[in-house]
Amino acid sequence: MDTFLQVLVNGIMLGGLFTIVAIGLTLIFGIVKVINFAHGEFLMVGMYLAYLLTVGLGVHPYVTVVALAPALFVLGALAQRFIIQPLLAARDEHVQIFATVGLSTALINLALMVFGADIVNTPSSGLRTPLEIGPVRVLIGQICILVTAVVAVIGLQLFLGRTNTGRAIRAVAQNRTAAQLMGINANRMHILTFGIGTACVGVAAALVAPLYPTSPNIGTYFVLTAFVVVVLGGLGSIPGALLGAMVIGVVDAMSGFYIGSDLREAVVFGMFLVILILRPSGLLGSRSTLSHVSP
Amino acid sequence: MIGRAASKEVGTGAKRRRPALAPMVLAALVAAVFIIPTVIDNPFVYHVFITICIFAGLSTAWNLVGGYAGQLSLGHMMFYGIGAYAGVILMNTGVSPWIGMLVGAAVAVVVAVIVSYPCFILRGPFFALATIALLEVFRVLALHFRDVTGGATGLMIQLRLGWEWMVFRDRLPALVIAFGLMLVCLFVGWLIRSRRLGFYLVATRERESAARAAGVPTVRVRLVAVAASAALTAMIGTYHAMYLTFIEPGAVFSLTMSIQIAMFALIGGIGTVFGPFLGALLLVPLTELVRGWLGAQALGLHGFVYGTVLVLAALFMPDGIMGLVARFKGTEGRPDDSTAPQAEAIAAEPRQPADTTEPTPQPATGAEIMRVDGLSKSFGGLRVIEHASFTLREGEILGLIGPNGAGKTTLFNMISGFMEPDQGDVAVRDRAGDWVRPKSPMEYAALGIGRTFQIVQPFAAMTVEENIMVGAFHRHGHVGDARAVARETAHKMGLGPYLDAEARGLTIGGLKRLEVARVMAMEPRVLLLDEVMAGINQTDVRRAIDLMLSIRDGGVSIIAIEHVMQAVMSLSDRVIVLNSGHIITEGPPREVVQDPEVIEAYLGKEFAHA
Repeated sequence: MDTFLQVLVNGIMLGGLFTIVAIGLTLIFGIVKVINFAHGEFLMVGMYLAYLLTVGLGVHPYVTVVALAPALFVLGALAQRFIIQPLLAARDEHVQIFATVGLSTALINLALMVFGADIVNTPSSGLRTPLEIGPVRVLIGQICILVTAVVAVIGLQLFLGRTNTGRAIRAVAQNRTAAQLMGINANRMHILTFGIGTACVGVAAALVAPLYPTSPNIGTYFVLTAFVVVVLGGLGSIPGALLGAMVIGVVDAMSGFYIGSDLREAVVFGMFLVILILRPSGLLGSRSTLSHVSP
Repeated sequence: MIGRAASKEVGTGAKRRRPALAPMVLAALVAAVFIIPTVIDNPFVYHVFITICIFAGLSTAWNLVGGYAGQLSLGHMMFYGIGAYAGVILMNTGVSPWIGMLVGAAVAVVVAVIVSYPCFILRGPFFALATIALLEVFRVLALHFRDVTGGATGLMIQLRLGWEWMVFRDRLPALVIAFGLMLVCLFVGWLIRSRRLGFYLVATRERESAARAAGVPTVRVRLVAVAASAALTAMIGTYHAMYLTFIEPGAVFSLTMSIQIAMFALIGGIGTVFGPFLGALLLVPLTELVRGWLGAQALGLHGFVYGTVLVLAALFMPDGIMGLVARFKGTEGRPDDSTAPQAEAIAAEPRQPADTTEPTPQPATGAEIMRVDGLSKSFGGLRVIEHASFTLREGEILGLIGPNGAGKTTLFNMISGFMEPDQGDVAVRDRAGDWVRPKSPMEYAALGIGRTFQIVQPFAAMTVEENIMVGAFHRHGHVGDARAVARETAHKMGLGPYLDAEARGLTIGGLKRLEVARVMAMEPRVLLLDEVMAGINQTDVRRAIDLMLSIRDGGVSIIAIEHVMQAVMSLSDRVIVLNSGHIITEGPPREVVQDPEVIEAYLGKEFAHA
């Protein structure tokens, strides 16, 4: 029973991690309507930056967030402005896929050229210290990730729902032309959204770097899982991302423990395929988010 | 974007104003891939050209699905991996890889059909994501079942030399096989593209619902494309494993390589027959040379170059090399049809100027051809159609009118198989005279029921001629016959001057005519026309009326949804008025328009009592 509890808690902690990676992805998808295949690579870039700053300046990894969030915001805004925006009007969405896949490939290999194939470890600064809560053990860093994830979900929901900028962003998502007629600068809203989405990744990078080793391919692992989370939670739904991440986190932990750690991915991706085909709107998605399925 | 270059490709079949230069250059390039290495006779050069053959073959096979069918697969290496493992495992038990190749291809076809069928409902990025997920599942499974696959340590082939084992000390035989496989891929690619199947695939990619209305078995054609693609990919996988002599899960079920083969197609020209070949021919030597020169010190450099090229290609030349060639030709030789003056020279010769203001409705004397009985449909709580019943006779024009939101298009969707009624049924008399109850758009099309769409649905990237050909294929399986029928129909519809223009360049009036022409080319027995006259000018309305009368006189029954009263009055033998889902009246046009209930439905209560 204790083992089960421990695995469950591990799963929830993992869910927190997936949430924080996935919210940026689902936000960008929900508003800009683009699947950013390079999302994981933004995380990877952020983690390397966290490593460099922590080692170079000798600061606590969490302090780097003040540099990471703005840096990733700029990176995302640039990607939107110079790669996605020119392609939004493309006759065929395949070009957008190619562009973000290309960006992803370029970033992975850039990291390979700069840092080599070996992993680097950001100093953990005590975040790897286990905490005993009743029968289960969790790392301090994991709790921080979970708390931040929940705060970020609530914060983003409030931002989109309660502020004028948030309303403008949602208006652009629902009808770009109509929003423009109301005097909203749709391109600027897209750039802002993309920036916020990647800034979330910047925050995630500062939190994840002390716990996970950084390698050029780290993004691929996270982003594939993040896609699963986003589809399960309902495309574009931020609370859905939290729920989806928890489910996937627990499934991942459980299958890793009870089925075998080498088959974990097969279970998660198998589940992904089943969801895509059987319930494409996800857990919290509405019919309006079904743009990815033929009528 | 895919289609622009693609449609030019089809156009070469006609060879209208096109010099035969391009095919000769392509043939010379293909031959050069074999001749250059044999002449230079250097192991590294051999290796580069064998790799070109492998990747050109893989990319051409990918193009059947990613290009023609427009399903962007980024997990295509799963088929390659299946072929590779089948070949190596069988070889190590003493079976020749030639047999292993066929076994691998068979397994790949089965896997492809099983996994693709449910994935076809997914569009764009989600099909891509699903294929990536499948590739990952295969990789993880290959790592897990190490008894069969050797797990992460991989499998080494037992070294047996000779043609039987596909392994050679010399480079020449290896090149012969690789080149042969590439030729097979190119041949299959060319064959599919120049036959009905190719037209059907592109039509399905461009506009699925319109393709279904034209009787295209959309699922079956895509499954055929996927099966052919998987088989070819697996065969190359088997051979490449023999060439490399060693395989492991990470290398054969590789996402990077899956992206690469898609990229070659993008660079060369997605959806064209020779684009993928050109892409591989251009990029493979570059990367192999970079790898050769810089070796291990440039870890990641070629990947970085690939990624950057991919972004730049997507941004600046989404139609690839073939697209550039086509654009160059377009400005040089042929006049750009899409910018040609549109409005003039529309209808060929308007028929004997029939006096359309004085209608002479023919009594519908033909036998019944369609019976609609008690159709009902609700969307949620909204009852859109309630107990609609009517019959249609041969050679009759039935006008279907009613205010906006009355349920006209919903009714059309139910009598063409696009929507399943909640209650009631539709019976159609087939050519043999038996009454049948069709269910799907395909079955309706097979019975000779053609429909147009209110919002025009052209296959945007195909030319006008090719658009009409998709309809003509319904009765004529051969490209030549279909082309002849398409031309004839186009001239009849006044689209003759635009045969070579891309459909997306037509005006709205032109698109409406194209919509009708495509259906007419199916040689239907029943024509369902959904507001073909809305938004076109007065002259065109007159032409359209003449056209519909001539179609009717040819023995075709027509049901027309129409708001243009002039047309309804002068065309219809009978009119059905639909309001809020109910048929409120039915009869000859002149009686119907005087019915107070109809006036009320259209103009409101005050007018009815006025």
